Amino acid sequence: MVPQLSWYLALSAILFTIGVAGVLVKRNAIAMFMCIELMLNAVNLTFVAFSSFFRDVTGQLFVFIVMTVAAAEAAVGLGIIITVFRNRESLDVDDASVLKL
Amino acid sequence: MLSNYLQLILFVLLAGLAIGSAVAMVAQRNPLYSAISLVGVFIALAGLYVTLAAPFIAAVQVIVYAGAIMVLVIFVIMLLNVEEEERRPLRLRFLIPTAILLAGALFAEAAFVLYFVNEAPQPLNPTVAGEASVVGLTASVGQGLFTTYLLPFEITSILLLMAIVGAMTLARRAAVRPTDIVIPGSQVLTMHTVDPRAAGDATPVISDTTDEAARVMNINERMRTRDGE
Repeated sequence: MVPQLSWYLALSAILFTIGVAGVLVKRNAIAMFMCIELMLNAVNLTFVAFSSFFRDVTGQLFVFIVMTVAAAEAAVGLGIIITVFRNRESLDVDDASVLKL
Repeated sequence: MLSNYLQLILFVLLAGLAIGSAVAMVAQRNPLYSAISLVGVFIALAGLYVTLAAPFIAAVQVIVYAGAIMVLVIFVIMLLNVEEEERRPLRLRFLIPTAILLAGALFAEAAFVLYFVNEAPQPLNPTVAGEASVVGLTASVGQGLFTTYLLPFEITSILLLMAIVGAMTLARRAAVRPTDIVIPGSQVLTMHTVDPRAAGDATPVISDTTDEAARVMNINERMRTRDGE
């Protein structure tokens, strides 16, 4: 019995769901950030699975671009987190629910 | 080609590792442990990419995600000296059941699609489609990246440039701190520039006009003498 395409899609759905639940439940900005990374990775898994099963390289190119976007997001997102922490002495998103200082 | 049993065992092991690490990541209260669990997810996914005959993406996954991005995250966690999340009373208490409900709905939708779309996939274009072992190699990925998808690739580089500039702008200390006193229409003067004894005085003063601000800061006399009147 060889792993089917739907197995990979199911695994991806599970990982994405865990990421969504984490973003909604977590209150720490860095933890929410890591849950977003998890969701991006779940989508990458579907891309690679489709690419492999359809024997077309396009999906893997998309993964490459998604990874670049994730890297850019990490740089800017962590910069924002550092700025918020500097101004509020806290990483809790409830403390930063108002844009005004 | 790996034998079927080996493929099955690898998939079960790696999928279990991925799901277990993901659950551990959400369940942990210490962000550092969450980050380590997330590295576990990345490694498991890299292994899955290898079983899917995509070695280039697997290597990039380990280098970029587990290497660069997670090092950045852990660096920030240690820089900010984050401790465990405190168990404060939730301001929006209904969020937790809502989160579980929404996640369940999302999972149910995915399961529905997977249950009803269960055909064995065929190569999209049999004449173009290569062998499965050739598709994921660095050569074919690079060829696609620099011919058909050259424009997205170049846009990606601009995106990275924007990210660099944005991150530097954000992380830089602002010229005016919230505790500084600003005279409208004048240059920025901090209190201890004006009066060395007032270095500890950090109360911001709000004023509508330049004259009012100058009067509050008591600098009229000083400015006049400095001008050499």
